[in-house]
Amino acid sequence: MIELREVSKVYPGQSAPAVDNLSMTVEKGETCVLVGPSGCGKSTTLRMINRMIDTTAGTILIDGKDIRQSDPDKLRMDIGYVIQQIGLLPHRSVAENIAIVPRLHGWPKDRIKKRVDELLTLIGLDPEESRHKFPSQLSGGQMQRVGVARAMAVDPPIMLMDEPFGAVDPIARNHLQDEFLRLQKEMKKTICFVTHDINEAIKMGDRIAIFSAGQLVQYGTPQEILSKPTNDFVKDFIGLDRVVKILSLFHVKDVARRTICTAGESELPNVAGKMRDLGADTCFVLDNGGRAAGFITWEDIAKHGDSAASETMQQIVAGRKKAFVQELVLLRDALSLMLELDTEHLGVMDGNRITGAISLRDIRKHASKKEGE
Amino acid sequence: MNWARMQDALVHRAPEALSVHLLMVVITIGIAVAIALPLGVILTRPRYKKLSMIVMNVMNLLQTVPGLAVIALVMPFLGLGLKPTIVALSVQGLLPIARNTIAGIYAVGPDVKEAALGMGMSHRQILYEVELPLAMPIILAGIRTSTVYVVSVGTLAAYIGGGGLGDLIVTGLAMFWTEFLLVGAGLGALLAIVLDRTLAYVEFRITPPGLGS
Amino acid sequence: MEYIIYIQRNTELIMEYAQNHFALVLTAIIISLVLWVPVGVLITKNEKWASRVLNIANTIFCIPSLSLFAVMVTIPALGLGRRSALVALVLYAMMPLVRNVYQGVKGVDKSVIEAAKGMGMSSWRILWEIQLPLATPVIFAGFRITVVMTTGIAAIATYIGERNLGRLIAEGLTRFNVEMIIVGALFIAIIAIGLDSLLGYIEKRIVPRGLRTGRS
Ligand SMILES: Nc1ncnc2c1ncn2[C@@H]1O[C@H](COP(=O)(O)OP(=O)(O)OP(=O)(O)O)[C@@H](O)[C@H]1O
Ligand SMILES: [Mg+2]
Repeated sequence: MIELREVSKVYPGQSAPAVDNLSMTVEKGETCVLVGPSGCGKSTTLRMINRMIDTTAGTILIDGKDIRQSDPDKLRMDIGYVIQQIGLLPHRSVAENIAIVPRLHGWPKDRIKKRVDELLTLIGLDPEESRHKFPSQLSGGQMQRVGVARAMAVDPPIMLMDEPFGAVDPIARNHLQDEFLRLQKEMKKTICFVTHDINEAIKMGDRIAIFSAGQLVQYGTPQEILSKPTNDFVKDFIGLDRVVKILSLFHVKDVARRTICTAGESELPNVAGKMRDLGADTCFVLDNGGRAAGFITWEDIAKHGDSAASETMQQIVAGRKKAFVQELVLLRDALSLMLELDTEHLGVMDGNRITGAISLRDIRKHASKKEGE
Repeated sequence: MNWARMQDALVHRAPEALSVHLLMVVITIGIAVAIALPLGVILTRPRYKKLSMIVMNVMNLLQTVPGLAVIALVMPFLGLGLKPTIVALSVQGLLPIARNTIAGIYAVGPDVKEAALGMGMSHRQILYEVELPLAMPIILAGIRTSTVYVVSVGTLAAYIGGGGLGDLIVTGLAMFWTEFLLVGAGLGALLAIVLDRTLAYVEFRITPPGLGS
Repeated sequence: MEYIIYIQRNTELIMEYAQNHFALVLTAIIISLVLWVPVGVLITKNEKWASRVLNIANTIFCIPSLSLFAVMVTIPALGLGRRSALVALVLYAMMPLVRNVYQGVKGVDKSVIEAAKGMGMSSWRILWEIQLPLATPVIFAGFRITVVMTTGIAAIATYIGERNLGRLIAEGLTRFNVEMIIVGALFIAIIAIGLDSLLGYIEKRIVPRGLRTGRS
C-alpha cells in the first residue's frame, strides 16, 4: 500500500509547486493510473515515491512505513521503476541490462539467466536472438519493452511505471496491455502507472487519478470517473465520447439477455407459439447441421403478425446470419458491429455455443443507467 | 631583484614588445580565419565529402609538428623578421579553425537540414541561416584555441627576429635576468588569458539560447 | 637524400636526443595521468569545485609555453633543467585531462543515470560501472590530445637546458641548417604519432562494445 499525505514538491528556483498538497492512497494489489496533460506533475509524483527526489512537504508511507526511514538505494531495489526515457545502459547487452537488479540482490548466475530468458519471452522477444544485442540494435518499442522487463526482474511487489508503452506501436501496445493485465491478475502487484492516454488509463486502471497543474482533480474507479466527472476539466479530458467510453468498461456478457430458445428451420411457421410457450424473446434458427442460421425476435413477430408468411420470416433470419458476437467482446465493440451491420439485434455466443441475445436498446439502457449511478 | 633592470624591462622594453606581439596575433588570426573558414565551408559541401576526410587526416598529422619546428622552418625560405613569423603562425593557426568549422557544420543534424530544405530554403540559404549560425559556437571555440596557441608560439618568434614578448624572455634566459623573464612571461600569460576570456565571452553571447551547456 | 645522410652521420646524437625526449614525455604523461584523472573524477561530485578547478586549468593552459618554462626556472627549487620541464608539462596536461574526464563523466545520458539510480545502484557504483565506461571515448580523446601536445611542447624545454630533439631544431636555427630542423621536427612528429596510435589502439580494445556496434 502506498499512502501520500499532503505531499508537495517545489523545484528549486520555481515558484509554482510541481505537485501541490497531494493526498491519495494506492491499495495493495491495485493498479493506480495517473493521467493528465503534459507537465502536470505525474512523473514528479512517481519520483517522490522511490525517493529519486525528496518531497518539499508531506509524508509518503509504503506499507505503513515512512519512506524517509529506509535507505534510498535499498528502497529502490525493491521497487520496480520504468522511466519515461527508458534509460537502458548502452554499454550493456539486453541480458545484462535486465540482470542489473538481480545482480544487486546477489542472485546466482544460473538463476539470473533463467529469469532473463523468462522475461524476454514474456515481453515478446526471442531470448536466443536478442539476449546478446546492445540497446542501439533495438527499435524504440523493443527498448521500451526491455525497460519494462528490467523493472520486473526481481518481481518487486511495487512497480512505478512512467509511460511504459509510450513508444510502442498501437498493435504491440494493445498486446502488451493485455499481457500486463493478465499477469497483474495473478501477481497482484501494487502499481503506479503514468500515461497521457485516457483510454489506456480506463483499460489498465483499478483506479484513475486525474491531475491538473500539480493537483489531484479526481480520484476514483474508471466507472466513477466516466459517469461522474467532478468538473469540466475532467469532462474535457475524457472527451465527447464519454458515454461510449463507459461502454468499454463492460462486456457483452454483462448485458446479454438469456431468455432465448432454438428452433429448426422447419419449425419456422409456428415459432411464435414456441417462443410464447417458453417465455423467450429471441429464437435462434438452426440449419440442418445444427449451426445458427440467424434469429427471430419478439419484435419481428409483433411487427409482422403471428401468422406472417414464412418467406418473410426466412428473409429476416437469413439477414442476420452474421449478426453474432462473442460474450467477451466489449460493449463498445458490439455497438460498433450493430452500426456496421445496420441491425439492432445481435446473437451472443460463447465459442460455438449460443448463450443469449443483445439489442441496441439493452446497450442504451445500460449506458444511461451507469451514467446515472 | 634588480630594480633598475626591472624598470628597464617594464618601461623601455615592455610597451613595444607587447604591441608587436598583439599586432602579430591579430594579423595572424585574421589571415587564418580568412583562409580556414571558407576552406572549411567548401570542404563540407557534399561533393567534397571524400576530400574533407583526407584533409582532416592531413591536418591531424600536421598538428603533431611542434610549433618551434614550423617557426624554424620558415626561416631558411623567408628569412628573418615579423613577416616570416606571421606566415609560420598563420599556417599553424588555421588548423584548429578549419577543423572546428568542418566539425561544427557536420554536427548540424541532418533532420534540421532536411526540415530547412523542406521549407523551401536553397542550399545557400541553409548555409547562411542554419548551418553557420548553429556551427558558430564551435567555430568560435576553434578561433579561441587558435588565438591562445598563436600567443604561445608567438613568443618563439624572438628566435627568428620576429620581436614581441619572446624578446624579453630570450634575453632573460640568455643573461639569466629574472626580471626580464618575469616581465616577458607575465605579460605573455596575461595577454593570452585576456584574449581567451574575451573570446569565451563572445562565444557565450553568440550561442543561441537553447544550445550548448 | 641529405636528410638520410645527416641521420646516418649523427645517429648517436639523434638517438640520445630522442631518448631524452621520449623519457621526458613519458614521465610527464604518467605523472599527469596519476594526478589529473582522479581530480577530473572527483570534481564531478561537486559543481563548485569543478568550476574552480577547470578555471585554474584553463588559465594555466593559456600561458605561453616559453613563458611557463621561464617562470619555472626562476623558482629556486626547480631551476634550469628536467624538474622545471616536468612541472611545466604536467601543468599543461591538467587542462585536457581534467576537462575531458569531467565532461565525459558529466556528459553521460541523464536518463541512463536516472534508471540506474532508480534500480538502487549507489552513486559510486554508478560512477564506476556506468559513467566511467561510457566516458571512455571522451577520456581517451583527452589522453590523445595530451600526448601530442606534450611531445611538441617538450621540444621547447631545450631552451631551459633539456638535451632533447628540440635542440636539433634550436641549433638548426642558429646554424641555418635546414636538415637539422627537419630531422628534429620529423622525429618529434614520429614520437607523437606513435604514442597517439598506441592510445588509439588501446582505445579500440577498451571502449565498451555497445558504444561501437549498431547505428551511429
Ligand atoms: N528537475 C526539474 N527541475 C525543475 N523543474 C522541473 C524538473 N522536473 C520537472 N519540472 C517541472 O515540474 C512540472 C511537472 O513536471 P513532471 O515531469 O512531473 O510532468 P509530467 O506530468 O510527468 O509531464 P509529461 O507528461 O510531459 O511527462 C513541470 O512544469 C516541469 O517543468
Ligand atoms: Mg513525465
